[in-house]
Amino acid sequence: MEQILTGGIVAGSFVAGLFFFRFWRTTRDGFFLYFAGSFWIEGINRLALGLLPEASELSPVFYGLRVVAYGLIIVAIWQKNRPRA
Amino acid sequence: MAAIIYSLCALTSLACFVFLWRTWRLGGHRLLFWSALCFALLTVNNVVLVVDKVMLPDADLKLWRLAVGFAAVMLLVVGLVWEED
Repeated sequence: MEQILTGGIVAGSFVAGLFFFRFWRTTRDGFFLYFAGSFWIEGINRLALGLLPEASELSPVFYGLRVVAYGLIIVAIWQKNRPRA
Repeated sequence: MAAIIYSLCALTSLACFVFLWRTWRLGGHRLLFWSALCFALLTVNNVVLVVDKVMLPDADLKLWRLAVGFAAVMLLVVGLVWEED
């Protein structure tokens, strides 16, 4: 069951990333590109966690990747909310 | 360190939820509503991760964490497909 859910999260993250990538291609709004990158990184992170039997969310590689993924979301929101120059 | 990182991830998801929900309530696209729901569940996912790994290390909440993460991503994918213009 855990592997099915992990696989679902991986596939869903990649698909969501593809949608955001397409929105970026249509609008050229960087906000969507950051979101696409974030979901793809999270997908890779979950894939690695699922594939490696000894993997733990407590190891720096995995929480480091999540920092990057969430960092992209913070950058996206920050760019959207900053005052226009 | 992992606890701090995942707590910050929970705060980031919460901020994302608030930002997306507020923008949707102010008349934004309905996709923002689905994205807000996704980040609400990702907030729960990160909080349960901290509880599971740090506060209750003897408990195994992995299945619950994965189920919430799966629901979050699936809500987003459904929204992305449903609201496509």
